[in-house]
Amino acid sequence: MSRSPDDQVSVLVVDDHPIWRDAAARTLTEAGFRVAGTAGSGAQALRIAAATRPDVVLLDLNLPDHPGAEVTGRLLDALPSVRVLMLSASGERQDVLDAVTAGASGYLLKSAEVRDLVDAVRATAAGHAVFTPGLAGLVLGEYRRLAQSATGLAGPATAGGSAPAGAPAPQLTERETEILRFVAKGLTYPQIAERLTVSPRTVQNHVQNTLSKLQLHNKAQLVRYALESGVD
Amino acid sequence: MGSQTENTVTPGRPVRRPPGVITVAGLGRQTRRNCRSVTPMVSQLWRAVAVYRIVTLAYAAVWILRDESYYLHPLGGFLALAVMAVWTIVTVAAYSRPAGRNRWLIAADVAVATILIISTRWIDTAYRINHGAPTIPVIWAASAILACAVAGGPWAGMAGAVVVWFGDVIERRQFLAESMIAGLVLLLVAGGVGGYVVRLTLGAEAAVDEAARREAATAERERIARGIHDSVLQVLALVSSRGREIGGEAAELGMLAAEQESALRSLVSRDSVEPDAETGMVDVRSLVEPLSDGRVTISCPATPVMLPRAAARALSGATTAAVDNVRRHAGESARGWVLVENDGSGVRISIRDDGEGFPAGRLTAAASTGRLGVSHSIIGRIREVGGTATITSRPGRGTEVELHVPQP
Repeated sequence: MSRSPDDQVSVLVVDDHPIWRDAAARTLTEAGFRVAGTAGSGAQALRIAAATRPDVVLLDLNLPDHPGAEVTGRLLDALPSVRVLMLSASGERQDVLDAVTAGASGYLLKSAEVRDLVDAVRATAAGHAVFTPGLAGLVLGEYRRLAQSATGLAGPATAGGSAPAGAPAPQLTERETEILRFVAKGLTYPQIAERLTVSPRTVQNHVQNTLSKLQLHNKAQLVRYALESGVD
Repeated sequence: MGSQTENTVTPGRPVRRPPGVITVAGLGRQTRRNCRSVTPMVSQLWRAVAVYRIVTLAYAAVWILRDESYYLHPLGGFLALAVMAVWTIVTVAAYSRPAGRNRWLIAADVAVATILIISTRWIDTAYRINHGAPTIPVIWAASAILACAVAGGPWAGMAGAVVVWFGDVIERRQFLAESMIAGLVLLLVAGGVGGYVVRLTLGAEAAVDEAARREAATAERERIARGIHDSVLQVLALVSSRGREIGGEAAELGMLAAEQESALRSLVSRDSVEPDAETGMVDVRSLVEPLSDGRVTISCPATPVMLPRAAARALSGATTAAVDNVRRHAGESARGWVLVENDGSGVRISIRDDGEGFPAGRLTAAASTGRLGVSHSIIGRIREVGGTATITSRPGRGTEVELHVPQP
């Protein structure tokens, strides 16, 4: 892992727990990343990110000042090329889902092994989506929910009663569904590739697509929401 | 999704945010405040007594104005009416404030009603009284009984009824005549039932208050607990990952921390196991989540996965059996994954492990030799609720169980 200082991946570590923040920063430095800075709150993260322009932001989902989803959205507004990898200790499902639909490119539990964390940051920097089985289950469920509220079969979950506003619900292709289900059942990309006799790269692309479609839909909904409520 | 709360439209979870709307800090997690009307029920009951008193005052006035020409002392009739009017104003004003609802005023209330009844003997003629003419206050007198009932419950109400009835006895100079007994029964019913209703109402109100207080306390406890859990989880996660890195004894500590971390995480992210009050449906996620630990990962949608109670029990029972199989038979280092899906037609749960697996045909062989373990505990359970179960395995490539139960 001998990168020249120039193409070293720079990472901003955002976490309100100093022990974890320092440990993550040390781990990443040891693994050959350049830690662009550390922040203990969402507001601080936005300031430091604007100044240091990191490649990857390692973002704790439960910050004291703003929800992870909001910080993610604002980071991406300010720095469209930044990639956000979410980390959380408790894995609150709705929070995780909100963060990835707001644009985070992956999610990891804090209990992940050091090796997994390093791999995940590397994959995120390369533009790949980092999925845990839990996140795959959430994304599958979210597509299902969107499809149901679009056909008016709104289940108990779609409370708020807001009718399907505007943008048609995104749909998964059969292949994407198949792959997400494999991810949720704990298979790695190479294992999935082997089962489907495709390349791991193809699997990665499909997974990436499932996230992009959700994020695009979310963005369209946000624009629509802003127009409807008269926000300029 | 532990913040129970959170979601649920069902108590427990907060209402889901509209799609795409990013919340500002904390907006999505406000606990629902109890928004009951501010007027306590007691005050409303006193208001009802006041209305009764005013309406019956008008009723008594009609009788007096119609009959005053037959009275022995018509002036006495008007005087009694004036007393009733003044007393109505005094009590309505006094009872509207909690401080005015004291026992002396209520005793005086009963005394005034009783004296007015007795005064009929002096105002009206004996002939009319003996032939069933009404007393001067007519049913206005019952408002004192209602006041007793509201203030003191059924026994106080009935005591007031007996006193007023004795006034009637003195006025009519009859004791056990049929009409007197009927009158007593009516007054007792008014006092007793009135008091009973008041007691029920107050009990219900206290229960609602208590529930609201408890809900608020629980929400606050959960809010505090979330913060603490998050910190504890951080530290446990850190100890486990650094421990594994360092190795040796530290790795053992790390393993312990990992176990506790996983147990605590599944504990705090648990959804409500209570059936939905309206539909009687159960969130399948809540039944399956406890199976998660360091070796078994549970993946679910973020929104509830509802099934009727029997189907949910069968599905979670079969899932538990399948996960037990993973723990017992798949090998020491095998890990398991459980995926809960709502596929539109029903609920599907897949349980996969990366363990040793077994050759095709072994399950049917086991069943035919009378070892019913897997087929009974998994397949039988699911078939009972109209679902399907498939088990596939290959040696060296783990086992996969897929359960599907249709939604009604």
